[in-house]
Amino acid sequence: MSASRSRLLAGALTLTTALLASACSGTGGGEASQADGNTITFMTKLFGTAPSPQGELHQAIEKFLGKKISVTWVPNAEYQEKTNVTLASGNIPDVMVVDPKSPAFGKAAEAGAFWDLTEKIKQYPNLVGDPKVLLNSSVNGKVYGPYRIRPLLRSAVMIRKDWLKKVGLEAPKTTDDLYEVAKAFTEKDPDGDGKKDTYGLILPKWPGTSFAASSPFNTMDVWFGAPNNWGERDGKLVPEFDTPEFFEANRFMKKMIDEGLVNPDWNTLDTAKWMDPFVQDKGGIIIDVDVRTTQLLDLLKEQDPQTYGDKVLTVGNLARPDGKKFSFPGSGYLDILAVSKQRVRTEAQLDELLKTLDKLAGKEGQILLANGIEGRNFKVENNEAVLINQDDPKVKQLQDDVDKAFIQLGTQASTGATGIAYLRVPPEEPYRKDLAERKERVAEDLKTAVFDPSLPVVSPTVVAKGATLNPIVTDARIKYLAGQITEEQLKAEIKRWYDSGGTQIAQEINDLVSKLGQ
Amino acid sequence: MATDLATPPVKAVKATGHRPGRARALWRYRWLYLMIIPGLAYFLIFKYVPMRGLQIAFQDFVPFLGYNGSQWVGFKHFEDLFTGPDFGRLMYNTLFLALLNIVFVFPAPIIVALMLNELRINVLKRSVQSLIYIPHFLSWTIVASLTYILFSVDYGVLAGWIHEILGGQKIDYVAQPEWFRPIIILQTLWKTTGWTTIIYLAALAGVNHEQYEAARMDGAGRWRQLWHVTLPAIRPTIVVMAILMSGNLLDMSFEQIWLMTNNLNRGTADVFDTFTYYVGINQGAYSYATAVGLFKGVAGVLLIFGSNWLAKRLGQRGLF
Repeated sequence: MSASRSRLLAGALTLTTALLASACSGTGGGEASQADGNTITFMTKLFGTAPSPQGELHQAIEKFLGKKISVTWVPNAEYQEKTNVTLASGNIPDVMVVDPKSPAFGKAAEAGAFWDLTEKIKQYPNLVGDPKVLLNSSVNGKVYGPYRIRPLLRSAVMIRKDWLKKVGLEAPKTTDDLYEVAKAFTEKDPDGDGKKDTYGLILPKWPGTSFAASSPFNTMDVWFGAPNNWGERDGKLVPEFDTPEFFEANRFMKKMIDEGLVNPDWNTLDTAKWMDPFVQDKGGIIIDVDVRTTQLLDLLKEQDPQTYGDKVLTVGNLARPDGKKFSFPGSGYLDILAVSKQRVRTEAQLDELLKTLDKLAGKEGQILLANGIEGRNFKVENNEAVLINQDDPKVKQLQDDVDKAFIQLGTQASTGATGIAYLRVPPEEPYRKDLAERKERVAEDLKTAVFDPSLPVVSPTVVAKGATLNPIVTDARIKYLAGQITEEQLKAEIKRWYDSGGTQIAQEINDLVSKLGQ
Repeated sequence: MATDLATPPVKAVKATGHRPGRARALWRYRWLYLMIIPGLAYFLIFKYVPMRGLQIAFQDFVPFLGYNGSQWVGFKHFEDLFTGPDFGRLMYNTLFLALLNIVFVFPAPIIVALMLNELRINVLKRSVQSLIYIPHFLSWTIVASLTYILFSVDYGVLAGWIHEILGGQKIDYVAQPEWFRPIIILQTLWKTTGWTTIIYLAALAGVNHEQYEAARMDGAGRWRQLWHVTLPAIRPTIVVMAILMSGNLLDMSFEQIWLMTNNLNRGTADVFDTFTYYVGINQGAYSYATAVGLFKGVAGVLLIFGSNWLAKRLGQRGLF
């Protein structure tokens, strides 16, 4: 055995031992480093590639705040998973974009992982925003951070305008009209290829197992008069699915599915492919958030830049057959910016951080996050942002950093709701028209909006048993619509939900809501 | 040098026969023993150290409070699991799929290997072999996407053909609960059979040709040779593979099942693996999910020991 070889082996041995030692100490759960006051760490969602810390926008924000920022960018698709893993890892950033109603956050917050800002936030008007929405984003009245604004009402119906013209029908106003349009789209060959290869309504497989999930199914429930998630009946709050209106709505949906007016693969169609049939002349109606119109216009424009404006018609919520109208609103927010106690340890540190966040939540900060740098990637005309210099690769990079990343840190500005940042309108006529119509439509629908009274509360039983309870009714409804079970069996499943813990949930929701004194 | 290293240390021990000899052997083959270290380190770091986390199955674990701060609750999570509404369904679904795996997936590579072994045209044999093991390299995500494309009720090519041939009503293969298990088994067969066949082909290559000659002299036909020479020759391989498989019986391929699950077939599709993911990662019930995982692990170990014991009882050589 030569000397060089023994040295090599000895080296390898040392290396393995070192690895072993470091691995052992690594699992000891090292204390997370304390905030140094000069750097703020964030975690938020990402829709493209992560911006470089040397990027123009990143630098501009640091300059504006007078502090260093370090952001963990997590792709949107895996955000929930990553959130739960981060909460478990004990390495929570200073400020974390998180769904305040998720069980993992609830448990962590209860254990004291995040600052309770219920009182403190009142000193920072930029962070409070709309007090009503702030309450909605709370956990049983406890506020853990500023919310990220979303439009209060986004539900809409998108219809192939050219098809509607072809079959000679008006824009639908009631669910009966919707049925007629869907039937005509299925039977009257709206794409004009001589074959019966189209359908009316496009429904996707809705991800997740929570019942109230803003799906087209929930929207239609509300149209027929069912509660939005929870609603008052005889002085007590009852779930959406325990009302006659819910069954009415589902009979309507089942009828459309049974008659073939809906895409046959509606229970497996991925939401990512939802728009494909619409664009590919296969289906003609989508019930979803109104920003979907912009995406549809984008896709149709790629296909035919001349006529795309004549292909999408967006209408608001529909009235039920007797003419009464109920609209489906959102919660007004999506996620909050929670402040971790792990790194922000003292009240003084917290005040310092909140001051910085408040500055970021002001008009100037929100414009940086949601519009970019004025004079660099946009200019202001009539109080609207107009994109400029987009041919310059550096500016394009800046624009991407805004649209795909930093806008996700916005609290009082977002893609859908402009909030206090500048409204951004694409120059093309169809987009401008849609935006103008949207404003009127939302104002009109908000008059009949059915709000969810249970938004601010979280039932402990849902946290503990949601995994088992949530799918019961969610799956049963889909099974009923698919014809696998009868209405009686659907009712039996609802009873099973009550028996397995639903009764307790209803009790808790009622108690918690009345305690908040709404 | 090579032969020197390759001499098994056992012989040296036998030659001297007592303790000082063993120590001397240890010293003599020290470099060989050193080579075990990376392997040992791997198991220690990646398999044993993480087991520390199993304690959270007996706690109400809150990550912020850590292992030491979380409250101990004894067997509460196990009680919840065994008395909960999910246990029966999960157990049934898991065992049903396991049974189908034993009946259809386990014998498939043996049969394919025997068939390939009978092929006399080498080029054909090799090309078939290569073709059938290629699916092994595709991820479950791709397999699931292919299944959706081929069997979708709207645009599925294969589903369309089947419908044309058989007529009747269109069947939504990917959404009907009764089609869930057949599809899972077909996917597994398609993806894994070719790859596992390699092991059996290797075993078949080792069968002594004189035995076949002797059998032919005694007038044995092809079937007789297969039954009395080939199968007994690869029996040890089959037994070892069976024991190894038994440990994984409750391990369903998570990705495969997760990707094929939807609202309509969840009742049939949920198995322990998807349930732990859903409860643990999605709902953040880490302790409960760990309890489920631990139960599954213990059941797996019992199954390995059980089948090993059974193999020995039946006169076969076990794994250990």
